[in-house]
Amino acid sequence: MSAERATVPNVDQNPKKLDVRSILHFLQRFQSILGLIVVVVLASILCVRDGVNLFLNPINLANIVRSVSENGIIAIGMTLVILIAGIDLSVGAILGLTATAAADLMMHKDLGFGSTLVIVLLLGAFIGWLNGIVVTKLSIQSFIVTLATMSIARGVARFWSGGIGIPITYGDEPNLAPPAFSWFAERISGVPVPAICFILLSIIFYIVLKFTRFGRYVYAIGGNETAGHLSGIKVNRIKIMVFIICGVLSAFAGIIHAAQLSQGSPNDGNGYELNAIAAVAIGGTSLAGGIGTIFGTIVGALILGVLDNMLGLLNVDNNLQMVVKGLIIIAAVVLQKSRSNR
Amino acid sequence: MEKNLILQMKGVTKSFGSVTALSEVQLDLKQGEVLALMGENGAGKSTLMNILNGAITVDEGEIFLQGEKLEMNSPLEARKRGIAKIHQELQLVPELSIAENIFLAREPRNKLGFVNFRKMFLQAEEYLEALELQVNPRQPVKNLRVGEQQLVEIAKALSVDAKIIIMDEPTSALSNAEAEKLFTVIRKLKKSGVSIIYISHRMDEIFALADRITILRDGQFIDTVKTTETNLEQLITMMVGRTLTELYPLRQTLIGEEILRVKNLSFSPIDRNKKGLEDITLSLKKGEVLGIAGLMGSGRTELFECLFGMHPRLSKGEILIEEKSVKIKSPEEAIRNGLAFVTEDRKGQGLVPTRSIGENISLPKLKDFSRLMFMSKNKEKNAWKTQMNNLKIKAPSFDSLVSKLSGGNQQKVVIGRWLLTSPKILLLDEPTRGIDVGAKAEIYHLINELASQGMGIIMISSELPEVMGMSDRILTFCEGKQTGEFLREEATQEKLLLSATYKGGREENVS
Amino acid sequence: MKNTKKWLFLVFVLVLSLSLSLAACSNTSENTSGTKKPSGGDSGEKKNFLIGMSQANLGEPWRVAMNDQIKAAADEYPELKVVFADAAQDNSKQIADVENFIQQKVDLLIISPNEAKPLTAVVKKAYDSGIPVIVLDRKVEGDAYTQYIGGDNKLIGKKAGEFVAKMLGDKGGNVVEIKGLEGATPQQERHDGFLEGISSNPNVKIIAAQNADWLKDKAITVMETMLQANKKIDVVYGHNDPAAEGAYIAAKNANREKDIKFIGIDGLPTPDGGLKAVMEGRLSATYIYPTGGKEAIESAISILEKKEKVEKTVILDTIEATKDNAEQVYKQFGGK
Repeated sequence: MSAERATVPNVDQNPKKLDVRSILHFLQRFQSILGLIVVVVLASILCVRDGVNLFLNPINLANIVRSVSENGIIAIGMTLVILIAGIDLSVGAILGLTATAAADLMMHKDLGFGSTLVIVLLLGAFIGWLNGIVVTKLSIQSFIVTLATMSIARGVARFWSGGIGIPITYGDEPNLAPPAFSWFAERISGVPVPAICFILLSIIFYIVLKFTRFGRYVYAIGGNETAGHLSGIKVNRIKIMVFIICGVLSAFAGIIHAAQLSQGSPNDGNGYELNAIAAVAIGGTSLAGGIGTIFGTIVGALILGVLDNMLGLLNVDNNLQMVVKGLIIIAAVVLQKSRSNR
Repeated sequence: MEKNLILQMKGVTKSFGSVTALSEVQLDLKQGEVLALMGENGAGKSTLMNILNGAITVDEGEIFLQGEKLEMNSPLEARKRGIAKIHQELQLVPELSIAENIFLAREPRNKLGFVNFRKMFLQAEEYLEALELQVNPRQPVKNLRVGEQQLVEIAKALSVDAKIIIMDEPTSALSNAEAEKLFTVIRKLKKSGVSIIYISHRMDEIFALADRITILRDGQFIDTVKTTETNLEQLITMMVGRTLTELYPLRQTLIGEEILRVKNLSFSPIDRNKKGLEDITLSLKKGEVLGIAGLMGSGRTELFECLFGMHPRLSKGEILIEEKSVKIKSPEEAIRNGLAFVTEDRKGQGLVPTRSIGENISLPKLKDFSRLMFMSKNKEKNAWKTQMNNLKIKAPSFDSLVSKLSGGNQQKVVIGRWLLTSPKILLLDEPTRGIDVGAKAEIYHLINELASQGMGIIMISSELPEVMGMSDRILTFCEGKQTGEFLREEATQEKLLLSATYKGGREENVS
Repeated sequence: MKNTKKWLFLVFVLVLSLSLSLAACSNTSENTSGTKKPSGGDSGEKKNFLIGMSQANLGEPWRVAMNDQIKAAADEYPELKVVFADAAQDNSKQIADVENFIQQKVDLLIISPNEAKPLTAVVKKAYDSGIPVIVLDRKVEGDAYTQYIGGDNKLIGKKAGEFVAKMLGDKGGNVVEIKGLEGATPQQERHDGFLEGISSNPNVKIIAAQNADWLKDKAITVMETMLQANKKIDVVYGHNDPAAEGAYIAAKNANREKDIKFIGIDGLPTPDGGLKAVMEGRLSATYIYPTGGKEAIESAISILEKKEKVEKTVILDTIEATKDNAEQVYKQFGGK
């Protein structure tokens, strides 16, 4: 699935075959965003009312990218975890906890922008580390471990805030949040800041997976952990790092969430883990580990976002929306399977 | 041999896309005979058998079963017609009982539609008895050894009244004793009129079992010969298409100083599937090939695992490399100390099937191929090219998925990976298992070349001719203990077998 | 194999596009007359109006009733078309829902916010873009909306308290309180109001109070422990009907339901609602907590058709429903 085939003399006796193969290859690569193209085309055609295209206008598109970015950022971390054949169910709870923490630190503990950011990201890193340590050192399946940390993180968040959301109001006086924080809710020449963060993080992790040693380790461990171990890879250390990254990204999404909603609520982020997993799966990452890309995940997140937006613009019944979303997920996975079978 | 023909395949042709897998292949099978099907990997054996098994359909050609033309579309139909295939990877349900596995989906029922367990167990017992397998049909299959599971598969085939049984590499996971037992069963089946198509890479088995041999090469039918009228040399020539002067080439090496010494190594496993080791002491010199002969479960693989730092907390003993005492607590440290380990289970422990040839080769050397955190593709590519050329890995490019390669080429990728670390000591666990004759010969040449460069090599093999052909010295293992040591000149199959099956001279059968 | 997969995929795509086009068709067909209208919108010529209703969640029966009442009220006016969105308790989803409505240029927005603070900005965005906004039940911050319609929890609590004080008389009695969700404003107000209501009768004592998070099943467990701990309970005050009904089930299991009176709040006109429970004698009284659905549509007509200025805040009164009037109230609110 990786890269196109280089021509090596004396291997392929038949030069014609190569051409056919490269075309097939091109089509396969194209296929990964085929789903997105289908959804976008559908949306562009269907969402026209009174001669105005409700979908294809800059504000709506910006809205989509913004609403996708939280899930997208979490899904990047989830991609790494799933690549090493794990799963992280605690991401939604981490988002709730870190959003609450950010609001509390700024509103009640009078911390500045920088220190709030650092503490909150460290909090996410800590939960990720906890996940990683228990998964590797006690060899418990990540599904169980993160199910537990999900409950713990949610409980801590609720305990911390007394079960209610903490509103964020900006100002320079004590007990008001530093105005710099609201930057995460702003737009830069029409592009929402969360979307910019999402795009930047996507690029960073695309590079990490594709061009760094760490990326190689991740793919090797996911493809065959024993082989990786026997090749001298410090498997546990890499796994823990992957969980930490996932925790930090979830915390970052929590910060964006708090800024977007001007509040940190311990109940927020419920079910976000499933959205992230859906984006990763639609993006073609194998839940068995070892196969998948960040690009696919971004496409997966966008498909979900465009779909939500389109169904909303069309005023499709909410209950029907769930059905359609389910169908799309299956269709995407079917598409993915036919690709990997080639 | 005047028995009547039970099966005839004529002019069978099959293409996958632009690749012709089989072209005008013919095969005939007599009642009550063992027909060996031979050929290198990719010669078309599996395709032909999948056609016979109903898993794939032919493009051209006809199949006659007892003179009647066959049209099958699924393995289920083939089973109904009396054709059963015993798969390389056994297809039993580990948690179910033996009897339940034999009668899976065909359980005898009582009037109410419930499973009639009494009847089922009784019938299962009959089949097991016929196969001389003394086990309780009520116990779950997971309690059985691989060899016994294989017999359960055969019982399953018998229970549907199979007239033709296809066996694909049935001994690949069996110990010699288990294999012997299987052979006895095969001979018995033969007498009762069942015909068997037997696929194997092991020449000794073929000569011991088969009445006739059909040879395929590159999807073409080459010849069918009687076993009594052919020899090893001739068979290999037909399979490979060229003469192999000698399968085990002689090696002119200078054996140097000691490179590895193991003193009083013992291992007490927690995992029930692993064998403990008692008091192993051995030494290896530069340029020497040390063979280890022993049955499966004799502790030979565990020896390698301990040397390679896979059981740091469970093993005791002293390891000296180049006369310096070393502590190896992880594979990483083993690699740093100049060890390399080609595992027996290529797919499970060696390769990352989801990645390319190149990435698989780089795995232990990623640090040397990167600057700061980033991979340096240029450095890597040169190393990949060198390994692919040196080892003659046949693949379109180093970007090809490793899972698409044949067994022999996959093994070369694993070996190539380890050569990249320039090891002093190479541990080879069954390096030629499941690969075809051509690739085997290449690997033997490679072993000799590496030894002549001064590498110390320890090789485990179940194939006694291989051990005897390749090693300067041979150790035998039995039940986790060293039971003998032989020089190349003094070793014979009988001596090795005896030493590998009797623990400490006591008459204790370990099969 | 490959063919089956292709087929499967085709079927999926077909089903998907079918369901979408169906949805789209239903949408456009009801708007066919709308396409003829001048998009610039010279005042007074508009005949059809599109109203977007953003509901916080449809997990609570009360909110389902709100949507039903909006729909029923809007059906009276053929020129109105209401489209509903359900945020499923997710603030972010509700923001996106409102943004969608803005994109669609709805003529009026009705919103029942999930939480105040997070939705303030997007409601303001809608309001600033010229869409009249009616906020139901929960408020948003600031005053960037056209009208707020809501019930008065404190008043309801007070009326319930007065009812209990009068029912128990001079002798007084023991009251247990099954509260809503800790930290929620309605819970605080229903509690405070109740205290005010019973203050006239010093012999009425609240002997225990616990949260049941508005949930019936949780109320059962809570009540079970209260029954264990307290020999004499005269009145159960549930912060909503499910809480009171859950308590009734627990008491019945302990054969003590005859000795206790149960009071609830919400009074939904549904088969499983509080009004039916009063009619069937399980609850002694329930207090209608009005959804404001009907009032919202009436305001919408005033704003859109009559071009009237509406009041900024409308507080709705409650109705005390007892055995005497429950059936009539049930019909009044459209119960079937």
